[in-house]
Amino acid sequence: MRHRTNNRRIVLLAITLVAAPAAGRAQAISQGFELERQGHADQAATLYFGVLRGEPANLPALLGLERVLTPLGRIAELLPLAEHALTVDTTSAVRSVALRTYTALDMRDSAAALVRRWVAARPGELTPWREWAIALEDRQRFEDARNVLLLGRRTLGTPGALAIELAELGQRTGDWQTAAFEWAGAADASPSQLANAVSQLDDAPLDQRDRVIRSLTISAATPTARRIAAELLLGWGQPDRGWDVLAGTLDPATPEAAMALRRFAARASRSSPGVRRVRGLALARLADLLPGPMGAQARADAARALLDAGDREAARAVLLKLAGDPAAPREALALAQLAMVEGLISDGQLDSAAAGLARLDRDALASGDDRERLRHTLVAAWIRQGQLDKGDQILGADSSVEAAALHGWILLYRGNLKEAIAAFRTAGPYAGDRDATTARTAMLALLEQVDLPESPELGAALLQLARGDSSGAVAALRRAADKLPSGRGRPDVLLVAGRIAARLGAGQEGTAQDLFNEVVQKGGSGAAAPAAELELARILLRRNRPADAVAHLEHLILTYPESAVVPEARRELERAKGAIPRS
Amino acid sequence: MRRREFVRAVGRAGGLAVGADVFGLAAYLRPPDRLTAASLLVPMDDAQSDHLKAYGVTYRVIQAGGKVEWLLNYRGGSFLLPDAPTVRRDAALSGVAVESVDDGQVSAVRGEIAGTNADSVPLEKAPKVAVYVPPNTQPWDDAVTMALQYAGIPFEKLWDPQVLADGLHGFDWLHLHHEDFTGQYSKFFLIYTGAPWLAEMVRFNDAARRQLGFSSVPAMKKAVARTIHDYVAGGGFLFAMCTATETIDLALAAHDVDIAASFADGTPADPNADQKLDWSQTFAFTSAHVEADPQIASFSDIDGHQVNAGPRRQPLGAFKLFNFSAKIDPVPTMLVQNHREVIPDFYGLTTSFIRERLKPGVTVLADEEGAPWVKYVHGDLGKGTWTFFGGHDPEDPQHQIGDPPTDLSLHPHSPGYRLILNNVLFPAAKKRELKT
Repeated sequence: MRHRTNNRRIVLLAITLVAAPAAGRAQAISQGFELERQGHADQAATLYFGVLRGEPANLPALLGLERVLTPLGRIAELLPLAEHALTVDTTSAVRSVALRTYTALDMRDSAAALVRRWVAARPGELTPWREWAIALEDRQRFEDARNVLLLGRRTLGTPGALAIELAELGQRTGDWQTAAFEWAGAADASPSQLANAVSQLDDAPLDQRDRVIRSLTISAATPTARRIAAELLLGWGQPDRGWDVLAGTLDPATPEAAMALRRFAARASRSSPGVRRVRGLALARLADLLPGPMGAQARADAARALLDAGDREAARAVLLKLAGDPAAPREALALAQLAMVEGLISDGQLDSAAAGLARLDRDALASGDDRERLRHTLVAAWIRQGQLDKGDQILGADSSVEAAALHGWILLYRGNLKEAIAAFRTAGPYAGDRDATTARTAMLALLEQVDLPESPELGAALLQLARGDSSGAVAALRRAADKLPSGRGRPDVLLVAGRIAARLGAGQEGTAQDLFNEVVQKGGSGAAAPAAELELARILLRRNRPADAVAHLEHLILTYPESAVVPEARRELERAKGAIPRS
Repeated sequence: MRRREFVRAVGRAGGLAVGADVFGLAAYLRPPDRLTAASLLVPMDDAQSDHLKAYGVTYRVIQAGGKVEWLLNYRGGSFLLPDAPTVRRDAALSGVAVESVDDGQVSAVRGEIAGTNADSVPLEKAPKVAVYVPPNTQPWDDAVTMALQYAGIPFEKLWDPQVLADGLHGFDWLHLHHEDFTGQYSKFFLIYTGAPWLAEMVRFNDAARRQLGFSSVPAMKKAVARTIHDYVAGGGFLFAMCTATETIDLALAAHDVDIAASFADGTPADPNADQKLDWSQTFAFTSAHVEADPQIASFSDIDGHQVNAGPRRQPLGAFKLFNFSAKIDPVPTMLVQNHREVIPDFYGLTTSFIRERLKPGVTVLADEEGAPWVKYVHGDLGKGTWTFFGGHDPEDPQHQIGDPPTDLSLHPHSPGYRLILNNVLFPAAKKRELKT
């Protein structure tokens, strides 16, 4: 009953609105909105009809009616009102309501006639075409919408007109090639659209991306189109290809090129080495286009990105420029010098690196910590070259734990096992990174098994290994093991030799197998025998002999139940039996 | 022996074996070699180094004819095995912790069992296990296959052609891979259209349909569901997980109704299917509403979590195992033996079962407190029993197609996988052959 009373009240209100002043009609519009919000579309419609009787071109009422009559399936009732409104008001908003009504009622000729009148009245305006296309898109008439936009472009006589509308229509219909072409046109016409273009095209599905890129990089493509392609490729995980495309747009060095480089570098913010590298390359090119300290800062950032990416060659080129730049800030110069010395060490030019380090010390350009780190890197490089005396000399009286660790390796390679153990213990677990600590711990375990004050043969064999002569080291370790007294770590040294041989690939697998067999058979009850048996089983698995491998693994598990390698052996056994997936 | 008699026999034997010898019958019932030699206790509490492989060791002892006892509710559901070099070797190779116990210690264990909610159940015959699985499936696609493979329990694979050709005969235990018995390919079309594995699944099913002379895949799956139903009614043990639980009941209830979308059988589902379903034919569920919309990746309102049904999806919680009286309810007690009471939940296409959809008489083995769903249920059908466990992989809670396979050697203590293996050993507790 209450509902019926409400309805009657609204009808009465609608009748009184005919003669109401403007303020009364505005209040009625508010009531209409509220009724819409409450879901009473029919009551809202009654109010809007009432408003339009008093003011035929009242836009909020026309729009309100369009909103409520569409879901009610009564949009035809809007037609006479819209047409009447057009007789008193020809603003774009009223024309748009009429256009949408014609389109909703599929009155194609009327819609076309209305647009013709509109265009004649306002030549050069995009709105009639845009509104018509949107109305058609809303009715899912995409092909008609496209034709309208193309007709509009021809009529307007501007090649890039309505490009954004055509691009968005392309996206909506899955025609990403057209979308790419039109977005490129829009960005060419208005550079501020470049960000929009990238953002919109970035949503292209995987199977459409190649088409998008092809469309943007055809031979006739503009630099803007190529720059869009470059950013898209970067975002789609192809940084190198993106950089190549961008690099092709940088001559001549226009402000647009600088802007493109800046955008590309900013977008290359992810942490993968490939992305860091192209960020570095972009910043390096940008640095060439920027004046004074701004250029130096960009160059320093470029060098950092290239070093992070592991591209030392490119980083060095940038750093050389930076080092010779009088406008470079001190921090950037320090970074340049440090990186140059690092590069020399990596290239094995250790004398030059030592001279560079001495200059750094003299000028106190870099921090003390950085210089110390570099000194230790240089010592490690001298050791790897077998120049133990030079390494020792650089270490001098350094009492840091890192120096103790390096000193330990020098002592070991000279065959002073006892002193090496002492140095490694002094270094403890804190020197160097995790790999370095693990290497020291493993070596300590071996030396404790050998338990001799010195063994020049073992030291020399391990130095051979450190210098990268793995094959030679296998033979040398075997000879060193033969010279060890009984019970002094012979199986452990042979195990090391076997592991090195196994890593050398199929060519040395036979040697490795012999070494492991010897340890298994004569290794006694120490830790070496089960470890060798596990390695032997792995070789047999690689050689496709699972039954033999299983026999060894079972023997290992049952014979050495307390061995640290039993969990590993059990996993290998399960894999060999197919009980767990291969990882 | 009918199943109920078996249950009574198990309960009676177990109860008396622990010393409730008020009638002086214990010595008579006790197997001749029990308690006379040293034994190996396989602890199943936190002292166990590989809970899952412990089931395999136990299975192999039973298979070899050894006498085994399952000590329900004693140290997490431990096993008592004969002490023999072969058993010790197997345990050592498997990484299973065993404790040598002499007669005196065994007596002490029995005393403790007698005085608590615990019991001893003899395990006498290694069940012959079948896994219903499509022929192209990797072992890592299915939790039960993985568990069996890891524990080293032998099984045979069979699929629609074998099931319909009386292939279930001779098997004690059947596990259903995560099959969609409504024949709608788990509605994977919605998400995985174009995926090669889906095309392969369709190809396999369609080839089987043509080979077996069915008009559609849904029709074939209904016949398979019916055969499995009859297998259980005849004395078989059925264990199902994931989608198989929900869809086998839907297929059984829909024996004369089309509940499959047109992409599966060429005709739309009957809009009045709900009113026509015959729930008297099902294992566990009743009065469910079938999801007829092919655009919604859900089968019915049986599943509580609706993992792929957009806004209906519910978050995962944890489920709690019920504590049954070991001496009075040995069967559900066996099924919930575990070293953990509360287990993190895990998704599957069917993750859980709405409590209101369970038939009267269904035993709930685990549920999530305060939630409208349960996780793990058990019941009888004819001479056989069935157990349904929601979810896909207990150690991969969010399992997605294409995820790397679960490596059980990294989860040797998995309480969820233990529940699966409880079910495998449960038929071993028979006093004698059950199936007709």
